[in-house]
Amino acid sequence: MIKAPQDAAGGGLLIALGLVGVWEGAALASGSLGHVGPGLLPLALSVLSGMCGLILFAGAFRTKGSKLDRWSLRGPACVLGAAIAFGLAIKPLGLVIAGPMAVVLAALADRETRWTETLIFAVVMTVFCVGLFRYGLSLPIPIAPWLIGS
Amino acid sequence: MGDLFANLGLGFSTAVSLENLAFCFLGCLVGTLVGVLPGVGPIATIAMLLPLTFNLDPTGALIMLAGIYYGAQYGGSTGAILLHIPGEVTSVVTTLDGHQMARNGQAGIALGIAALGSFAAGTMATIVVAVLAVPLTRLALLFGAAEYFALMVLGLTLAVVLVRGSVLKALSVTIVGLLLSTVGTDLETGEERLTLGLSALTGGIHFVVLAMGIFGLAEVLRNLENPEHRDAVKAHIGRLLPSLDDLKRCIGPILRGTGLGAALGILPGNGAVLGPFASYSLEKKLARDPSRFGRGAIEGVAGPESANNAGAQTAFIPLLTLGIPPNAVMALMVGAMTIHGIIPGPLVMTKSPTLFWGMIASMWIGNLMLLIINLPLIGLWVRLLRVPYRLMFPSILLFCCIGIYSTNNEASNVIMMAIFGLVGYGLQKFGFEPAPLLLGFILGGLLEEKLRQALILSRGSFWTFVQRPVSGGLLLLAVVVFILAVLPAIRESRKKALIE
Repeated sequence: MIKAPQDAAGGGLLIALGLVGVWEGAALASGSLGHVGPGLLPLALSVLSGMCGLILFAGAFRTKGSKLDRWSLRGPACVLGAAIAFGLAIKPLGLVIAGPMAVVLAALADRETRWTETLIFAVVMTVFCVGLFRYGLSLPIPIAPWLIGS
Repeated sequence: MGDLFANLGLGFSTAVSLENLAFCFLGCLVGTLVGVLPGVGPIATIAMLLPLTFNLDPTGALIMLAGIYYGAQYGGSTGAILLHIPGEVTSVVTTLDGHQMARNGQAGIALGIAALGSFAAGTMATIVVAVLAVPLTRLALLFGAAEYFALMVLGLTLAVVLVRGSVLKALSVTIVGLLLSTVGTDLETGEERLTLGLSALTGGIHFVVLAMGIFGLAEVLRNLENPEHRDAVKAHIGRLLPSLDDLKRCIGPILRGTGLGAALGILPGNGAVLGPFASYSLEKKLARDPSRFGRGAIEGVAGPESANNAGAQTAFIPLLTLGIPPNAVMALMVGAMTIHGIIPGPLVMTKSPTLFWGMIASMWIGNLMLLIINLPLIGLWVRLLRVPYRLMFPSILLFCCIGIYSTNNEASNVIMMAIFGLVGYGLQKFGFEPAPLLLGFILGGLLEEKLRQALILSRGSFWTFVQRPVSGGLLLLAVVVFILAVLPAIRESRKKALIE
């Protein structure tokens, strides 16, 4: 019987990571101790990670531990989705589109969000960021490539 | 001694230039802000602001980033005292007696003594940094590859041991951090390692991407799940300056706290976190009437707050002298230095003395500014605590995205940050602390380089690490520390100490 589901899951993930590491690093030369190759450390660390995972996993059957936490869907989906959307939109569409889009998408994560407030806030924040980053700090971030060319 | 004054003179003349004073002030202000606001930590802030410093002069940039770090230590106490929510890990202890004092109508005095204690500790710790910098740098120049390797192993061991919760889990994330650092092109052979065939990974994982993902975004996700109640803000603050009697009672705790914090802060592996806890237990032991602790004892605020600030200051020592970051924030400072073409380590002091001493002098100036920022302006900070989180987190996200994109104008980095955000969220859910992962990741590159160098020098013999006295001693210390932490009896008391 699994007595500590959280540890069992964490251990399982570490084992999986170790296996991926060993698989991916298999083609790299380990070299010798006198001349360590590029593959030695990744291999050693993957094995260590897998071993830690095994110990954690085995321990989960012996001692009682925390249950698995519930994962929420809305928060991560909206916030991470907003970041991904920003990443996809920034080069072709520029900050004037990617900025408000990221703010509004992220705001969806919170049930307390008020729509008019968020829309106004998104526009204000974007204008502020364009001023600060592009003009204040002269970072080469695209503003509106489809309109002004950069 | 004469050298020390000459060096500090050079430092102060650099730090008081109008530009650097402005950066120092800005850093302290931002630091106080993130320290006060629960849910925005210094790690995420420094990661977010890093791109802003790209076009600045390196001295100004580092002065500002350092200000954010120790400013956050000051600000953290405000939330701890008024809201019973520690802004930072290091102000957890302050919630015990500080919040009790606020409930007894002494919020102002608690804030006052926290700020005064922090200032006294910061001043003394700045002197400690200045005094120790030269001899330690000389020592560092004698270090060979084996010694560096051993010191980093010791640092990582301490980081593993000092984390709250399971040692095994802390060890696992450290190893994962080291493993992640090997992703990308191998520096010696140019071969691609563990890139999963993705072109975005050939250059390796950028540390800001990792830090912002597992700290910045994951923090936002955690806060969205646990909305806080911030209703204690209405508390009456009252008089700020402690009475002469209070001050007399606090001199001892402040001095002892500073000593403890400064000593623990020098340790590689985030010893600074232990300072406040150690100081609190010491004061409780020394007190004539220990039962007052937990019910609003002023010594219980003065000691830990001094320890926490002293530790924040001396944590710069391993970074500035050896180039080894003792904690995640210092790891970001390494990143900031490298971006400006400065390789952290013993050579900084001789190659760019104005930067080195200017930064040290700015710490004292920053502490003075913080006293002014914190005490008279406290009402402003209290009002800031009322900014609703529903407006704060979309702004944090936008800043993170722009910051990451600007680090090297790669849109793929923003997407990678989102993936690490999910990783950070997962780490929390499975009960892993993320801090050692970042430290492992940051030290990984240097660790591998020194390991390979040392092994080439010794012609493949692992004995070199044990035979060389300094390296052997450091490794022995690491082994002893680890065994002590794993021994169950000691683990029990460690748990208790961290909960206290």
